[in-house]
Amino acid sequence: MSGRRFDSRTTIFSQEGRLYQVEYAMTAIGHAPLTLGMLTKDGVLLLAERPQQSPLLDSEEGLEKNISAEKLFMVDDHLAVSVAGLTADANTLINHARLTAQRYAYTYQEPVPIEHLVTVMCDIKQGYTQIGGLRPFGVSFLYAGWDNAHGFQLYHSDPSGNFSAWKANAIGQHTDAAQSVLKTDWKENMSMEDAMRLGCRILNKCQDGSLTSEKVEIAHMTMGDDGQPKFHICRTEEVDKVVKETIKQKEEEDKQKEKERREKQQG
Amino acid sequence: SKATVSVLYWKGGGERKMSIFAYNGGAMVAMKGDGCVAIASDNRFGTQFNTIGRNNVKHHQVGSRVFVGLPGLETDNQTLLAKIKFRMKMFRLREEREMPVKSATSMLGNLLYSHRFGSFFVEPVVAGIDEKGQSYVAGFDCIGSHVAPEDFIVTGTTQDSLLGTCESMFKPNMNADELFEVVSQALMASLDRDCLAGWGASVTILKNTGECITRQIKTRLD
Repeated sequence: MSGRRFDSRTTIFSQEGRLYQVEYAMTAIGHAPLTLGMLTKDGVLLLAERPQQSPLLDSEEGLEKNISAEKLFMVDDHLAVSVAGLTADANTLINHARLTAQRYAYTYQEPVPIEHLVTVMCDIKQGYTQIGGLRPFGVSFLYAGWDNAHGFQLYHSDPSGNFSAWKANAIGQHTDAAQSVLKTDWKENMSMEDAMRLGCRILNKCQDGSLTSEKVEIAHMTMGDDGQPKFHICRTEEVDKVVKETIKQKEEEDKQKEKERREKQQG
Repeated sequence: SKATVSVLYWKGGGERKMSIFAYNGGAMVAMKGDGCVAIASDNRFGTQFNTIGRNNVKHHQVGSRVFVGLPGLETDNQTLLAKIKFRMKMFRLREEREMPVKSATSMLGNLLYSHRFGSFFVEPVVAGIDEKGQSYVAGFDCIGSHVAPEDFIVTGTTQDSLLGTCESMFKPNMNADELFEVVSQALMASLDRDCLAGWGASVTILKNTGECITRQIKTRLD
């Protein structure tokens, strides 16, 4: 079986017809912090889990606040992404996305449609699975955006270059648990606040009840008063409020469950 | 500028050559005040001696405190504006801050020079407020050399006349209201003598607070 030795190269199929490098990239992403996206009545929500920050990290005071966080990035005024996977790979792709968006705007004098940008990004990712013998990008993205043709949209792309549109999706670690909660609890036309609490509840569950506002980043794409989409990365106070409400909600649910359990025991 | 565009035939035969920079016509002034800056342009859009538009404002806000004025050949105005917006957006996304007015000036100069041997037929103007809240104006030639004087910049087909009117009316450190008056009067006085510029004027005053007001001036409509 001497073919086995070469089957791990990106551009070569394995004997069972698989691309190992692409699968290994997805495995890498499966270890990354969780990030969620959800469509809501008011727009698209993106939430990301943030691993522990070192107190030695320098702050980013004085910078514009709605352009980037650790896992959330603006690509254009109407389109933003959240990242799961290798950050350096993500930075390269996001730069590409930003340039692609501007080139489209330069040519057509209007904002790039979301699906077009996702397609271009996925064509790039696919190229690295077929040409050149280079490894694939170890990143999955959730794209949240608004365009004139289809309104608010959420897309997911992975290292294979595959993508699809979603109502709600989770990528990174614990996606099974996250997606099963989304399947039961995500509702069409949820308000943004309800969605934020649902997202934090999922994060809380995946972190075994230890959610604090330092561990989560929240951002949303909504319609501004001027009729233009607006991307907003939530400030510390806003995140605090949502996390507090989520913890309170959980405590009340726990109390309720405890009460029911005791009643059942007595009865 | 010696570059020429086609010809205008007169009834008696013969040809008249017009500079390519004057093909669409236009006039612009940018003037410094105390913590405020004015940028003003005429509203005419024409092809040689025909007027085909009366609401073609030639200055554009490209950043919260940066205006760019493009008074040359209209196709080049439009393309340059699109290129400037591209670069300013990419800067803002990568650096997570707005491009300051001096950087925008250098960037525009670089952009123009990159087309040194196939240049844009525009002599732009930049006006804005720098990071310290001071007013700033700069003017360029069509291949990117720029200068940022202490008082004002004028450009367009009415340039020579505007130099005279601005020089006589300008005084340093004017407040926003005085600046508006001076710029409007200087521009109007020159526009009336230039058949390629006119049909009303737009004057924008940008203050270091970020407040920005544009007023339309009624001039002779011919």
